[in-house]
Order: sequence, then structure tokens, then C-alpha cells
Amino acid sequence: MAHLDIRQLQAGYGDKTILHDINLQVQKGEMIALLGPSGCGKTTLLNAICGFVPTQSGEVHIAGHEITLLPAERRNITMVFQSYALWPHMSVAQNISYGLKVRKIPKAQAHKRVLDLLSIINLEGFENEKVTNLSGGQRQRVALARALAVEPDVLVLDEPLSNLDAKVRLSVRHELKALQKKLGFTSLIVTHDQEEALVMADRVAVLNQGRIEQLGTPEDIYQQPQTPFVADFMGADNCIIYQASTPSVQLNLANAAATQKLALYFRSSAAELRTVSDRTEAGLTISGVIEQSAFLGQQYRHTLRSGDQILQADSRQCWPIASSVSLHVPPHALHVFDLATHETPPSFQSNSRG
Amino acid sequence: MRASTSNLLLIGPAALMVLALFLYPLFFSLVSAFTQDDLSFTLAHFVKVFELYSNDIKFTVIIVLSSVVLLAILSIGIAATLTLSPFPKLVAVLALLYRLPLFIPFIVAAQMMRTFLAKNGLMNNTLVAMGVMTPLETVSLLGWSGIIITFVWKQLAFSTLLISGAMAALNRDQIQAAQNLGASRLRILVDVILPQVMPTIGVALVLSTVTIMSVLSVPLMIGTGSPTMITADIAFRVNSYGDYHVANALGMVSYLICAGLAWFYLRQSLKDKGALS
Ligand SMILES: Nc1ncnc2c1ncn2[C@@H]1O[C@H](COP(=O)(O)OP(=O)(O)OP(=O)(O)O)[C@@H](O)[C@H]1O
Ligand SMILES: [Mg+2]
Repeated sequence: MAHLDIRQLQAGYGDKTILHDINLQVQKGEMIALLGPSGCGKTTLLNAICGFVPTQSGEVHIAGHEITLLPAERRNITMVFQSYALWPHMSVAQNISYGLKVRKIPKAQAHKRVLDLLSIINLEGFENEKVTNLSGGQRQRVALARALAVEPDVLVLDEPLSNLDAKVRLSVRHELKALQKKLGFTSLIVTHDQEEALVMADRVAVLNQGRIEQLGTPEDIYQQPQTPFVADFMGADNCIIYQASTPSVQLNLANAAATQKLALYFRSSAAELRTVSDRTEAGLTISGVIEQSAFLGQQYRHTLRSGDQILQADSRQCWPIASSVSLHVPPHALHVFDLATHETPPSFQSNSRG
Repeated sequence: MRASTSNLLLIGPAALMVLALFLYPLFFSLVSAFTQDDLSFTLAHFVKVFELYSNDIKFTVIIVLSSVVLLAILSIGIAATLTLSPFPKLVAVLALLYRLPLFIPFIVAAQMMRTFLAKNGLMNNTLVAMGVMTPLETVSLLGWSGIIITFVWKQLAFSTLLISGAMAALNRDQIQAAQNLGASRLRILVDVILPQVMPTIGVALVLSTVTIMSVLSVPLMIGTGSPTMITADIAFRVNSYGDYHVANALGMVSYLICAGLAWFYLRQSLKDKGALS
């Protein structure tokens, strides 16, 4: 049985419904990443789980107990905030031990727990420091320790790393993941950084407009997006509308039905640029003209125009502007969707499997 | 050099205004309190003040202290309800209601309280009509309790406005963090909110004290005559005797009371700062 079980949850602010029919089962010790564009309802979902936003319908269960109507202070779910939300008038130790104080844990025991946690988050000796004297990364680790001190049933993290600069973010991300593996807490982490989600989570849920579009392992989400939105959001942001009649676009797939109108998504990194030839090959081949190129370090990113469609393709070699090229995408890197249903037609599913 | 001259010129008019309208009268009343008509030094006015008005000074201090204590309790209570209440409708109504006295002048407030609190006033009539009291049992609340009620009612809006503003400026996340660690609303108020809005509470109460010390209409209209507040005595010395010396000496006493409270507040806030750093 799932540790955290969310069934048909609908929630929002006042009369406005933000989350529609959310179903999510989280196993004990699992880390789920919630990924989605700004405003899609990630924070709202965490707030609904914590009890800060009332549920309009549906149920939330933890370890078999229903908590849908429990107030936030009785749920034993703690949150790590993007803004850290440490209390500036308390020391590091007072911040971390606050939850223990509220639960009337004896002082000596609470103190020991604070010292343990400080060593876990690598901040030994900081217990009497003012939190306002800490760096961003240190503050976020204190906030994490404060949330973990009470041994919550579920830990939720709302973009915990987004206020940190790139380098610190990588190291705190690494520490957080290591800690999660070591302590085995059940957690949901919100991020809008897809790499962060893929690296940290056991499973990823992609949210769009208050609904879960796809839930799966990082590999699943990355390699087999089930909707155009997920494909686009996970970086397959080249989209080409395919009709059999367009001469500059050739689609050679074993099971292509020539009559369909299809949307094809692929990553710039999966596309290959070649000189124009008559060779036919499995996959997608598009002829076009280079309009622009930009140096990215590892490779050049080229902007290609084919008819009225603009596409991007990476290449180690810098192709001259205005040269005619052909762009090729192998079958396994193509995500094919029927324009009418926004789903991968059954006959194509074997193609998109990587 | 040139810059500092032009700076002086810029603040000149403002400085002149302060000098002419505030410092000069202050200096003048200080001199007047300590001198005879021929400008020779004397403490006779203060002797007179303490002979005639020591009861009124005590009365004033008691009125001010009890009003401020009540104000603190009530405005923290209302501000906390506004910040922490889970019922948005209640918050909306309360937020509107508590502000009303802001727009009512003291003299109108005093007049309203007079008709409300008198022996056959609105409050007692209502209680009698509801059968809670008989007409014989009614008492007039005019006098010290009426003065306190009026001051608290009128100043409540102002201090609640300041305090709830400070509470609203706290990061909402800080409250939620305490909440999901298991803290009740009362604990959140005591542990998380109050320590951070203390300076604002201090400012609200000091400013309210100064206001209460300077209002004439309330003790005149609601008081029973004797004992009364220092402001009423000052008015009496000036209007009935033209005695500016004793009036100024009384003024000095109220300056000192305010200064005493301000000193207490400053010392407290410095102590808090010291404890934090
Ligand atoms: N307190 C609120 N009252 C009313 N509507 C709100 C409130 N907070 C958020 N919303 C609305 O709910 C929707 C979802 O907001 P939410 O904060 O959950 O987005 P998010 O996915 O966390 O976005 P971001 O990545 O920018 O943090 C938005 O359309 C927003 O306008
Ligand atoms: Mg958010």
C-alpha cells in the first residue's frame, strides 16, 4: 500500500479551482519530483498536502489514515520553503529544535537530536549562530534539518534550491539526495529545472494546468513522453507538423500510415545535419537552409528553415549560413503524436521506444 | 565646501520652521515654568503644582498606564486574529470595523461615549430594556472608567493598524513553517510573531501615550471634575487665572511622564537588540 495516497484531489483558492483530479501514490522512502511550468499548480499541490490550502474534493491518506480534513498542525508533514522561512530571532539550534519543543520532547534529548542533525548537514559548531549570519546554502540546510527534526511522515520541498547560485545548488542538490538515500524519508520535491528532477527523483510527475500529464521514472519521462506537452517540456522542443504531401519532409517509418496528419517532436541534440543527398533512410529527413548558428561550447546550435517551419539542430561542425542541408532524426529519437488526439498512435508506439 | 553650504540652504526653511514652531515655544515654556514674572529663578510654581495637583498627576499616570495596557492586549488580540484566523469572512468584517474610530475626532468620540455611558445613557437603557438590570441598579460609567474606555476605543484603531501592518509584513512562510511543525495558533503568536513585531508594538504604545496625554476634550466631557487629568488642569490655569507659569510647570510634568515612558521603551528595545546579537 502506498505511504502517501492522493485520490482525485481537487483544490484551489476560494472558488477558483487550481488542481483538477490529482491522483498520486508515493511509496515509503520514495522521492517524487513535481515538474512543470510556472503557475501550473506545483506549490498549490504541496500546500494542499500540507493542509494550507483546503481540499475541495478528493482524499489524502498517509500510511492508511485519512488526513484530508486535518489541520496543518496535526498532519506531521513538513515543508522546506524556497525562501527558507527560518525565524530570524532564533539561533540555528532554536530553529532546528522548535518542532521538538512544540512536541514537548525533553530538552536533553532535543539537544542531542540537534547536534546529530547539525553533523548530518555538515554545520557542526553552528548551533548558537544567528540564522541571519548564514549563507543561502547554509540556511537551506538548516531549514532542511528543522523539517527533518520531527521525523515527518512526508517531507515536501518547494523549489528548495532555486535561490542558490549554480555551484552551491549542485552541491546542496548532491547533499540532499545523499541524505534522502541515507535517511530514507518520503518526499516530494518541486522544481522547474528538468535536470534537477531527473537527477534527484525516483519518479517524476509532470504537471500542466493543474493536472498530472505523465508520471513515470526519469527514463520514461525523458525517452517516452506521452503527450506533446511533456515532450516539449522535457526538451524535445522541435515540433514539425507532418503531412505526406510536403515534399521537403520525408518520414520513413516501418508502420507509417500515409494519410495521417502528425506532430513530430525531437531534441536538437538528436538531430543530425548532413549535405543534401537522395539517400532514403529510416526516420525523419527534412531539407532546409541554415539561417543562424550559435556556439554552445560542446557544439554549434543551428537554426534551420524548411518551408515556414523553423527547427534547431546541434552539430559539432559549424555549417555556413544559407547553405542547404538535410536534417535527419533516427526513429528512436522521434516522438510521434496524432494531431487530432494528441496521443501517440498505436501503430507508432514501437518507434518512439528508445 | 560648496556642497555643504547649499545643503544648509536646502534644509534651512525646514530647520527654521522647527525652531520657530517647536523649539522656541518649548524653550519659552521651560523658562516660564522656572521663573517669576521678572525672570528671576523660582521653584514656587512646581511647589504649587504638587500641592494642588499631585492627585491629578497620579490620576493621569494611572489612566495612561491602564489605557496603554488595555490597548496593548486588545490591539495585539485583533491584529493576531487578522493575521492568523482561518476564517476570511470574519477577517474582512473585523478589518473594516476596527478602522472606524480612525475617522472620528476625539471630541466626537467623547460626545458619543457620554451619551453611551451615562447613568441613563444608551448602554444602561439597553441593559434595562433587555431585563439584565433594573433602573435602580444602573451606574454611570462617566469618570475614570469612561475616560479609559474612550481612550482605548479611539486609540485601538491606530495601534491595531500599526501592529497588524507589522504582522502582515512578516513572511507568510514563517507562520506556515511553525504550523506544520505542530505549533498551535497561540504558540505561533507567542513564539514567532510577537518577538518580531515587538518594536512596532513599542512605537504604537509610545505614540498612543503621547496622544492620550495631550487630549483635552475627553477628561473635560467624560471626567467628573475631580480628580482630573493634567490637560484639564492646564486649561483651567490658563482660562481661569491667566496663570501661564503654573500651566507651564504642569506641562513640564507631562513632558517628564512621556519622557519616562520613552526611556523605558528605548532601554527595552536596546536590551532586546543586545540579546539578539
Ligand atoms: N494565494 C492565492 N490566491 C489565489 N490564487 C493563487 C494563490 N496562489 C497561487 N494562485 C494561483 O494558482 C495558480 C498556481 O499557482 P502555484 O503557486 O501553485 O504555481 P507554481 O506551479 O508553484 O508556479 P511557480 O513555478 O511559479 O512557483 C496560479 O495561477 C496562481 O495565479
Ligand atoms: Mg511555486
